[in-house]
Amino acid sequence: MIMFFAVVGLRLVQIQIIEFPKYREIAQKQYQSKIVLPAARGTLYDRSGNVIATNSIYVSFAADPQLAVADARAIASKFSNLFGKPKSYYLEKLRSDSRFVWLERQVDVRYLKKINTKDLEGIVVRYEPKRLYFHDQVAGQLVGCTDVDNNGLAGIELSYDKELRGIDGYVIFQRDGLGRARPSVDYPRVEPVNGHNIILTIDMGLQAIAEKELRKGIEQNKADHGLVVVIQPKTGEVLTMAQYPNVDPNKFGTFDLQDQKLRAVTDVFEPGSVFKIVTASAALDHGIVVPEKRFFAENGKYVVPVSYGKQRTIADTHPEGWLTFQEAMEVSSNIVMAKVSDLIGPERFYKMARDYGFGIATNIDFPGEAKGVLKKPIEWSGTTLNTIAYGYEVGVTPIQIVAAYAVVANDGILMQPYLFKRETDGSGQIVREGKSQQIRRVISPATARILKNFFEGVVVHGTGVPAQIAGVKVAGKTGTSRKYIEGHYETGSYTASFVGFLPVDDPQLVCLVMMDNPRGSSYYGGTVSAPVFRAIAERFMNTSQMFVPQDTMGAVTTNGGNTVRSSKRIQTERAVDEKERNVGYPKGIVPDVKGYSVRRAVGILMTGKFQPIVNGSGTVINQVPPAGQPARPGTKITLICQPRSSVALNIN
Amino acid sequence: MFSQRNHIDIVILIAVLALMLLSLGVVYSASASYALAKYGESERMLTSHAIKVLLGMVGLFIGMRVNYRKLQRLTKPAVIVAVGLLMVTLILGGEAKGATRWLRFGSLGFQPSEFAKYALLFHLCTLIAVKQEVIRDFKRGFIPMMVWIGMVTVLVMLQPNFSMGSMIFFLSLIMLFIGRAKLSHLGLTFAILLPLIILYMVSAEYRLNRFLNFIHGGGDASGKTNYQLWQGILGFGNGGIFGVGPGESKQRDFFLPESYGDFVFSIVGEEYGFIGTIFFMLLFLMIMYRGFRIAKVAPDIFGRNLAVAITCAITCYALINAGVTLGMFPTTGLPMPFVSYGGSSMVFSAGAIGVLLNISSQTDLHPRAREVPVVGSVNADEVNIGKVY
Repeated sequence: MIMFFAVVGLRLVQIQIIEFPKYREIAQKQYQSKIVLPAARGTLYDRSGNVIATNSIYVSFAADPQLAVADARAIASKFSNLFGKPKSYYLEKLRSDSRFVWLERQVDVRYLKKINTKDLEGIVVRYEPKRLYFHDQVAGQLVGCTDVDNNGLAGIELSYDKELRGIDGYVIFQRDGLGRARPSVDYPRVEPVNGHNIILTIDMGLQAIAEKELRKGIEQNKADHGLVVVIQPKTGEVLTMAQYPNVDPNKFGTFDLQDQKLRAVTDVFEPGSVFKIVTASAALDHGIVVPEKRFFAENGKYVVPVSYGKQRTIADTHPEGWLTFQEAMEVSSNIVMAKVSDLIGPERFYKMARDYGFGIATNIDFPGEAKGVLKKPIEWSGTTLNTIAYGYEVGVTPIQIVAAYAVVANDGILMQPYLFKRETDGSGQIVREGKSQQIRRVISPATARILKNFFEGVVVHGTGVPAQIAGVKVAGKTGTSRKYIEGHYETGSYTASFVGFLPVDDPQLVCLVMMDNPRGSSYYGGTVSAPVFRAIAERFMNTSQMFVPQDTMGAVTTNGGNTVRSSKRIQTERAVDEKERNVGYPKGIVPDVKGYSVRRAVGILMTGKFQPIVNGSGTVINQVPPAGQPARPGTKITLICQPRSSVALNIN
Repeated sequence: MFSQRNHIDIVILIAVLALMLLSLGVVYSASASYALAKYGESERMLTSHAIKVLLGMVGLFIGMRVNYRKLQRLTKPAVIVAVGLLMVTLILGGEAKGATRWLRFGSLGFQPSEFAKYALLFHLCTLIAVKQEVIRDFKRGFIPMMVWIGMVTVLVMLQPNFSMGSMIFFLSLIMLFIGRAKLSHLGLTFAILLPLIILYMVSAEYRLNRFLNFIHGGGDASGKTNYQLWQGILGFGNGGIFGVGPGESKQRDFFLPESYGDFVFSIVGEEYGFIGTIFFMLLFLMIMYRGFRIAKVAPDIFGRNLAVAITCAITCYALINAGVTLGMFPTTGLPMPFVSYGGSSMVFSAGAIGVLLNISSQTDLHPRAREVPVVGSVNADEVNIGKVY
């Protein structure tokens, strides 16, 4: 019998001492339940305060079938009336053995008023926040998305997840064996801390324009996909990162991952001629050439002897004879660049490319950035120096290219590209401010001036003529690179790019337009991408307050359309289908009509079933409410307009 | 008036009173939620339990005051009354969870089986003492005793109350054994009864389920039939070493059914932890130790047998109840003496302890007292208590 006592004692030791933590946990699970009070995820804004992403509160209805026994029929018929599903659907759920069944998830909050939960025992109401992206697919890849639990999964939502997410609160409820719950007195309620707001450097207006124009360009040229990157050269602020095809983060889960990448930072490509900026910079900065120095362009075919008696041919698209170095840049002669590279030498060339930031990540605040491929001279083959001089055997990201051209626009200093403008807390107080950051001086101001000149020449009478804009000096460089597919350079598969900045004398923006595999009538960067660049730049100048040209002749649209180009442009503008105009602005979202004529703006608004109110006449310079806001059909939208001539004057 | 006062076994008295008083707190805590839900006041069952504790103390006092030798003449009528009551219960008794175990007199109800248990055990003590000469004779000694045992056991089992019946039977066999009945007779009894027991167990589904659950579940399954057992173990586990504190039990909030009754020990474990459960077990260990010590120095065979019977009845119940709540035995309906909510067990157990104390008061605390046998010829030393238990 003593033994018996000992056994009981040992069993007590086992349960109450050794296995205590296990039982404590199980017991606590049984009598405590933690109800999470979700923190509201911070709002995403663009640079002018337009909401990009915020939360909407949805309501979910659940039931505890054990408590809902008496009212099961009443509940089922109520829900059946409201949601149109058969009564049996709800009754089946209400008769289950479990203690928690969802009846309806994430439905509009107004249903809460229609269901009197106090009268129906066993009904559980949960508020669930859901991320809402105001602009749908505009900047889809850039903004990224969240999962159902509001965790940032991609894009800005991921890179600023820590700031945006906030801290969830909770209430500990105590339950008894019958399932009745009451707030526990032992644990105080922990309130959620809402996430901070993030203001981006992105201009959603420009972003929408860029996406629209890019899409047009891609459709016209039958390209696979394309992208546009716009940054402010003096600060490094990224204004636009457009991409087509785009994705709508509201429809998370319906698109594949390949489309969700932001190619501007994740994709590496062989730049081709746009890389000649490095060759020219090295040659000029080291005083190896002057712009007037003449080179023989070999009439388009340059045979280079390679070791062991082999030889290699470098070709130019447009055969030329003798060219100055400046002319060679303007017509984009590969042969002259190859010859100049021999004068520069591998080390100096490599150092210049490295200084421009090639082969290193720009450290832009976006997840998944690729650093590109820039081999060290020691790894170079005999032909690498010549090849890299016109942009092959090197891998770059679009953002690196834009940053490099911003160096020229910014008098030789490389700026850190960034997307983060400001972080504010719930009360609007600024927590952190994004800062413009110089990385290094890459070239001397003098070299930068010469290069500006070169790039202006490219647009004035070189390969970039289609990028010309009346009244504004534009500088740029075209690039058409064959795509390297499965071990060889594929004829007929090209990347067409144009990168430029304007106005030349005081550059306000640098813009890269790239299109992949255009299969239309042309595939050159100058003919495919430069027109898209021009269209974006024009629209931008019409709408942005940022843009204040120094040149008094720089009126974008002159009074009465007295230049051929602008009048032609107005005609084409009128011909554009109304529907296409509204790409990027789905139903229920105010479209962006800034920069349009009053008549066009009114037409667009009428199509969207809005009620326009016109103040003044001429061109729309502002609109209330601003573009991108959600609005019901019939909402009044005030347009503030000025005559076209005064727009020009205003700019001055 | 109370000449033997000095000789009362004070340790047993203190241990029993301690259990009774502690039970007030434990039962109150364990029953509060249930009482609040059922009667609208959380103290309702505490009040009822307190009355039973008081009745128990009265019973204990009476048992202590009556010279145990006088009981010898009363055991036969008592066991006859008990059998009668059991029969009446079977016919008229109130149902509780599928079994008729209760007799009601107005608002007062009691379990005749609790009374029958002590009546039978006491009567066996009488028979053993009286029939000392013929106890090893099958017809004259063994059979008459088995008739009483069989009647009571069968009647209790018919209620049906299998655990109580088998406990009574088991305790009776112990009495026969220490009364030096022939081992072959006992073995024969077992050989005949074993198939019957198995048949009985299989005959009712819930008993079979309990048993199968015990075999398969081992006490860890959280299945429906094993729910009470699982919740009981959770109660112990949740308490840990120091417990969650008096009145802080969560298991009593409708997780552990009948937390105030047969599973009250689990609430002790939850609220007072390992410290509490070990303390309760030590109190029962004390009762056992002192009880057997009283048996050893009892002035006569009847007294010795009574002491053994009472000590075994109390401690076996306590141990089996603890073992059940700890998942070491199949679930049974045995209360923990003095602690569980329930009047019959409280009153009769306390009365029995009173008898034990009366025996203790008539012994000389000096060991040589044993050398003077008062009745019968068997020396207490020949009863090897240690061997039996």
